Amino acid sequence: MNQHSTVPAWRLRLTLLAVGILLLVFIGRLFNLQVLQHATYSSRADDNRFDRISIPAGRGVIYDANGSLLVRNLPSFNVYITPANLPDSDAEIEAIYLRLSEITGVPLDQQGPPAAACVAGRGIRQLVEEGLTNRPFDRWPIACDIDEMTARILRQQQIDMPGVTIEAVPVRQYPTGVLTSAVIGYLGPIPAAQVDFWESLGFLPDRDKVGYGGIELAYQNILAGTNGLKLVEKDVAGAQLHEVGPANPAVPGSSLRLTLDTRLQAIATTALQNRMEFLNRLAGDVRTSIGAVIAMNPQTGEILAMVSIPSYENNRLARFIPEYYFRQLSEDATRPLINQAISLSFPPGSSFKMVTALGALNEGIIDPNRTLFDPGLITIQNQYFPNDPGKAKDFVCWKKDGHGNVDFVHGIAFSCNVYFYKIGGGFEDEVPGGGLGIDNLNVYARALGYGSLLGIDLPGEEDGLIPNPEWKRLNLGESWSTGDTYITVVGQGFVGATPLQVLTSIATLANGGRVMWPHVVRDVLDGEGNLVQRFEPCVLWDIGDGVLIPSSEIAADCPSLPPDVRELLIAEHPESPDILLGPGVLDLVREGMRLVVEDDEGTAHNYAQLEGISSGGKTGTGEFCDDTAFRRGLCIPGNWPTHSWYTAFAPFENPEIVVVAFVYNGGEGAVTSGPIVKQVLEAYFQLKAIDAAG
Amino acid sequence: MQASARIWRHFDIWLLGAVGVLTIAGVALIRSAVAGNPELIELNVVGRQALYGLISLVVLFAVAAIDYRLWSAISRLLYGLMVLLLALIPIAGVAGFGASRWFEVATLTVQPSELAKILTILVLADYLGRNRPEALGTLLKSFALVALPAVLILSQPDLSTAVVLLVIWLALVWAAGVRLRSLAILLGAIVLVSLLVAPLLARYFLERYPAGEDFLFLRNYQMTRVINFLFPHPQESFGASYNVEQALISIGSGGLLGQGYGSGTQVQLRFLKVRHTDFLFSSMSQEFGFVGATITVLLLMFVVFRCLRATRLARDRYGSLICYGVAILLLFQASFNVGMNLNLLPVSGLPLPFLSYGGSSLLTSLLGIGLVESVMLRHKRIEL
Repeated sequence: MNQHSTVPAWRLRLTLLAVGILLLVFIGRLFNLQVLQHATYSSRADDNRFDRISIPAGRGVIYDANGSLLVRNLPSFNVYITPANLPDSDAEIEAIYLRLSEITGVPLDQQGPPAAACVAGRGIRQLVEEGLTNRPFDRWPIACDIDEMTARILRQQQIDMPGVTIEAVPVRQYPTGVLTSAVIGYLGPIPAAQVDFWESLGFLPDRDKVGYGGIELAYQNILAGTNGLKLVEKDVAGAQLHEVGPANPAVPGSSLRLTLDTRLQAIATTALQNRMEFLNRLAGDVRTSIGAVIAMNPQTGEILAMVSIPSYENNRLARFIPEYYFRQLSEDATRPLINQAISLSFPPGSSFKMVTALGALNEGIIDPNRTLFDPGLITIQNQYFPNDPGKAKDFVCWKKDGHGNVDFVHGIAFSCNVYFYKIGGGFEDEVPGGGLGIDNLNVYARALGYGSLLGIDLPGEEDGLIPNPEWKRLNLGESWSTGDTYITVVGQGFVGATPLQVLTSIATLANGGRVMWPHVVRDVLDGEGNLVQRFEPCVLWDIGDGVLIPSSEIAADCPSLPPDVRELLIAEHPESPDILLGPGVLDLVREGMRLVVEDDEGTAHNYAQLEGISSGGKTGTGEFCDDTAFRRGLCIPGNWPTHSWYTAFAPFENPEIVVVAFVYNGGEGAVTSGPIVKQVLEAYFQLKAIDAAG
Repeated sequence: MQASARIWRHFDIWLLGAVGVLTIAGVALIRSAVAGNPELIELNVVGRQALYGLISLVVLFAVAAIDYRLWSAISRLLYGLMVLLLALIPIAGVAGFGASRWFEVATLTVQPSELAKILTILVLADYLGRNRPEALGTLLKSFALVALPAVLILSQPDLSTAVVLLVIWLALVWAAGVRLRSLAILLGAIVLVSLLVAPLLARYFLERYPAGEDFLFLRNYQMTRVINFLFPHPQESFGASYNVEQALISIGSGGLLGQGYGSGTQVQLRFLKVRHTDFLFSSMSQEFGFVGATITVLLLMFVVFRCLRATRLARDRYGSLICYGVAILLLFQASFNVGMNLNLLPVSGLPLPFLSYGGSSLLTSLLGIGLVESVMLRHKRIEL
């Protein structure tokens, strides 16, 4: 045959070349994928098949100072269906649905909008359908938080209902409920905006809850513990096959022991409540709905009781947060979700005179034995128009006729306004040189804890306000006048303070000049109740030592301070106050406070004197005119409504307890708040006696 | 029969060996690939493939024993049979996966379009062997011969097999010695058609593709595949590019030596789809790694090489063209399948010869090898 008989050689060779090139391309590509990029694809294959299952960590519980449980975990029963594990026959599935519907009360067939897990509104069939079309091997909640009896019935019948599981998930229970909710707080779901943050800490957004208020929020990190992690191999349908490698176990959260005494807390709450109800009944109207009481050990800063009214029932927020209830709480003008004891500032009124008294005496403005005359009203000329009587201003004492001649300790005892005007802002030739003056007043106020955060281990602390000329110029565009000093030295005008700050100022005078770190948590405990860490008392600063100490050094003296508190204190107080208290100054100031109670004409004498126990205290009647009062037409010039304050410590010689009571629009300090403080103090010593006997 | 006993000395044992290894490996790989898929196990896919393999092997020897020149004599009959079978499909065929491509004979399903590949080779080789390949008339007439079955297959619809027929035609006219000028004219015509189609295509994509409509003979899903290959969506991992993505993960995670037989995570946990057919190569690559994949590709190319060797040794043009046709058929299918697995080419239903699950495909491949062996047995004139 001729050469045409077969395929032309060059065309065959070209074909062979093509084969060779293809071979090289394929092997090259294989080498690239399998050898060079192996690691990348390997990890992607692992991502495919491994599920990281988070093992929930138990949340720590909270005890009060005596070991009673304030927070515990209870099981809440949920019913789930795993669609993939349901039987094959439709009739059997239908039977399971029917039985489940009968027992749990979830409708069999009900259309509804897609919603988050555990939100009622859809029927069993719709819920399973959703699960089946998404992740058939996952458990889909059908009924949440069913009662224990139903759960037990279901558990027994579970064997006949493949695909149905009942699981207990822990929920918080607050045995003391509304009594301690302002301090304890509550939990809530991880907010959508913070999902990334919590996930980076190992939390599971759909399952885990985080603190929303109080100690639950402040000690979230300690209470929550650390979730564990296990690696599970799954197939493409999501069926979990087996665990891979050793699981990383969950570390349960630590428990806390508070400094709070629930008994004292209950007594303080009742005392405050009764007093407020009495006022309202007297007025025939809701005269006051806000009040606070704090009891603290002035030697250690340990909070023994902290009452904030109104409050909320944190048990109603424990399983899930009901929308209507939460909205009701958030929109309430009296702000029940806010801890009034630390988060809102009010004019402290005469309680603030202790700052003026301490300052004026220590700066030598006034000889304590010298008397000043209180005619009931003094007039000061306008400093810019000294000869224009029309521009002169009158300043009155709360007692219209005046107190007559008053010395230092009686100035305090009578809470004599004119006396404090004169020593605080100066008066003509009687107290020349402008008295203590606003700048010095600022120094002493800050030294006693006003105007800045004290670092209490609860969220939402408010810093209050101590005005000064610069503040007024910046915020109001006006110059500071002597009149401003007058109203500031008696705790009126722009001064704002939280009940905690008022309490701290008196506690500091009571304990000899040490500003203590206020705290509610004493110990961190492990699961068996063994001590893990103790928050030791911490002296933030000593007002009278005359030494400037940087706050970083103060913080170093208190190694057990929580780190965030330490940072906050360093930022708030770059250094301790630059004051050197002269000998006997504190004693005289304290003596004034003793006379408030013990002197026959002391402002609190008729309301707060204890039987058999000496005490010292200071009343306060803070005039205010806020939006609410203004709307209700209470702001009558010269007769503004007043907040009622009383703060006292006992025993006078060696104080163990200091109590502040605050009643919004409560009228005169001693009348309304005096009895509250008295009841708390009496209860404290009674409880002490009981404890000593038992 | 005395002569026929002697011709078996020329039997290409290397070719048979390579094919045998590939076929057995295919059964083993399918066994691993269907693990965990109860439906396929119930269908006894592994047993079926083994059975197909045995039947196909018998067919291989039978075809090798028959003098290939016999097919030349009944070429018209074969062509008529092929067209008839393809034409009957719409009437008597069984539908599956959105297309009707199969006949059901007893419990086995037969896919005539697979057989059409071999029959096209035989018919074309005969036609080109008899006529002057230089003539433009021969070229056009041979094209017409292929066009009829190709259009029938396209209407099933089965784009990839139709393309295979056209590739076979192109390969055979090239091998038969068609003039380059004629090819150039042909290419010119293709460019012309493309220019005519381009505006239509543009309008289609702007208006009709989003509405889910088809383009001429191309179905909407085929268009989607092409688009997904050309412009993969970076975030799309569960959509149309999921299969290809999982194939790449399977291959890449195989590494140098693989994860071991029956231990490929992508395979056993079923992340890889259509593991026993289209993506069997990926499945194998994960379990046997770079070494196994390379050996497989080398073996496939070795089979192609032995067929091309037979092309060179064949005693006449008919035999030579048969061998070339089989070589290109295997080369094209293997390359397209491997290329698709490696994401070098768009996804198509072309099986991996010898390895992928599918009786018709296996039968066709071994039938082709049988023809090549038949040519080899008779390549020395003296011995007849």
